[in-house]
Amino acid sequence: MSVKKKFKGLSDKAVGWLFIGPTVLLLLAINIYPLVYAIKMSFTNFYANKIGREPQFVGLKNYIKVLNKEAIWEKMQVTASFMFWTLLLQAIIGLGLALLLNRKFKGNELLTTLIVLPMMLSPAVVGVFWTYLYNPQVGLFNYVVNFFYDLGSFDMIGSSILAPWAIVIVDTWMWTPFTMLICLAGLRSVPNYLYEAAEVDRASKWQQFIYITLPSVLPFLLLALLFRGIENFKMFDMVVELTSGGPGSATELASINLKREAFEKWKTGYSSAFAVILFVTIFGFGNVYVKVMNKIKER
Amino acid sequence: MDTSRSYLEPSSFSKKMAAAIIIVYAVITLIPISWMVMTSFKNVDSAISYPPEVLFEPSLEGYVNLFTNRSRQSQEYLDSLPPPENWYEELVRSREMVITGPSKFLGRYSNSMIIGFGSTFASVFLGALAAYAFSRFRVPLKDDLLFFILSTRMFPPIAVAVPIFIMYRKLGLGDTHLGMIILYTVVNLSLAVWLLKGFMDEIPKEYEEAAMIDGYSRLQAFFKVVLPQAMTGIAATAIFCMIFSWNEYAFAVLLTQFNAQTAPPFIPTIIGEGGLDWPAIGAGTTLFLLPVMIFTIILRKHLLRGITFGAVRK
Repeated sequence: MSVKKKFKGLSDKAVGWLFIGPTVLLLLAINIYPLVYAIKMSFTNFYANKIGREPQFVGLKNYIKVLNKEAIWEKMQVTASFMFWTLLLQAIIGLGLALLLNRKFKGNELLTTLIVLPMMLSPAVVGVFWTYLYNPQVGLFNYVVNFFYDLGSFDMIGSSILAPWAIVIVDTWMWTPFTMLICLAGLRSVPNYLYEAAEVDRASKWQQFIYITLPSVLPFLLLALLFRGIENFKMFDMVVELTSGGPGSATELASINLKREAFEKWKTGYSSAFAVILFVTIFGFGNVYVKVMNKIKER
Repeated sequence: MDTSRSYLEPSSFSKKMAAAIIIVYAVITLIPISWMVMTSFKNVDSAISYPPEVLFEPSLEGYVNLFTNRSRQSQEYLDSLPPPENWYEELVRSREMVITGPSKFLGRYSNSMIIGFGSTFASVFLGALAAYAFSRFRVPLKDDLLFFILSTRMFPPIAVAVPIFIMYRKLGLGDTHLGMIILYTVVNLSLAVWLLKGFMDEIPKEYEEAAMIDGYSRLQAFFKVVLPQAMTGIAATAIFCMIFSWNEYAFAVLLTQFNAQTAPPFIPTIIGEGGLDWPAIGAGTTLFLLPVMIFTIILRKHLLRGITFGAVRK
């Protein structure tokens, strides 16, 4: 036990609770309570638009329905391939840019700021203005593509083959700077003496890259991908405004489907079950990923 | 010459190559943004000309259309009107339309401001209190509490939107500024606590202990000594909270309709005759993105630090 100090005013313990209390209470009220509520609803046949009808307990029926629905697995596949391509592209381009920026040339900081701009913008608004760039008649994107390689008329948003790539391109444009920044932080944290020692040992530049640079930046890259992975699993706003899940359901990510079930069809019970499944999926994958990441870090 | 330092200090050729590639990337990445700003100064016809016009006669039609509601009228009716009183009325008349009133854009924009500043202030204030307590006091179950605070960020917004919708309907908070401020405050709180705790950890304890020996109470020491010291961190955190609230879409579109709707759900609805009115959408987008871009450029040092902070800490 530490010696109790005599100071004026409230005790440290009281101040501590006073300071933490409001935050914890707010999180409980606006975050945890709704989550518990959603879990409760997921076992009922509740419809939020039918006020006055008592919801009935239906057990695991909603969960069974969600997991047996083929359409849900299609959405999961769409989400998975969206995540795979965005994370892959953002890892490669982001790391590449970070390696280049780490050479500390003149104007470095200003260029970093300019490159970072897209990730500061509102995803929904970004989605809207890309519909203009992708417009098959007048879009700048189509014009530039045709300028370099004549494809004729093509519709990035209207074609079910191209639309998944349309959202991958926009997400990559927007969020590559994030991976870049975190990788850059990783590169700057590598102590110089490692390279000095390698030079003394006559290691080639390539060997230095493989044995020093890559291992030290890898944990940072993995962390960036974890954040991006969580965000893209929840992806809603940009894609809703860009393709609204279409054409058909070619870009209907899990969150978009969830919104349709919850706020258009008002199947509260069913959509709550789906939400809980999504939530458990993020948590599960996130946990496994963090464990793997920590193992890599330990090596 | 000492060539052994070559890896630490890259050769000037490799620096130039790196700079060239980065400049090309920066130019490509800025094209979509610049294109939207350019479109906002086009007239409706030149916005839909093909090939896309890089050089064009600037027009404020997009901005006029953004801020007004118009209706199409017959030529005879237009002829019967007194001559236009100002330039924007003239511009609208030349399209055979008359202004019927102001649009909702200003209202949506000021909602974004009110909700953005309100929630930023609240989450930074509450976050600073909690961060200080976590940084200085022995809190029972500290690590669990901190993880709990962080994990609330993993919830997909849609997953909690229905319960919040129902809860807000019962409490009368649906479609109100206060409701949205509380909601965004809570979403930002986890980030605010984590970022600010890092900054508070860096302030030496001795400062406030010295103040307390001089007769300050713990609370006085916090407000008069610690908070001013943490100003950089508070600024960085505030920018992040502000950007989040400013850009948020999912909750805004699901929980607000008339009274408290912010700009992101509104901008896509600016529809002109025969499809989307691109200059007006460009104008709305430009005005909406402008504050964030200016913020980012002015405060880049704090921002870049804030982004990498979480990563470096871990």
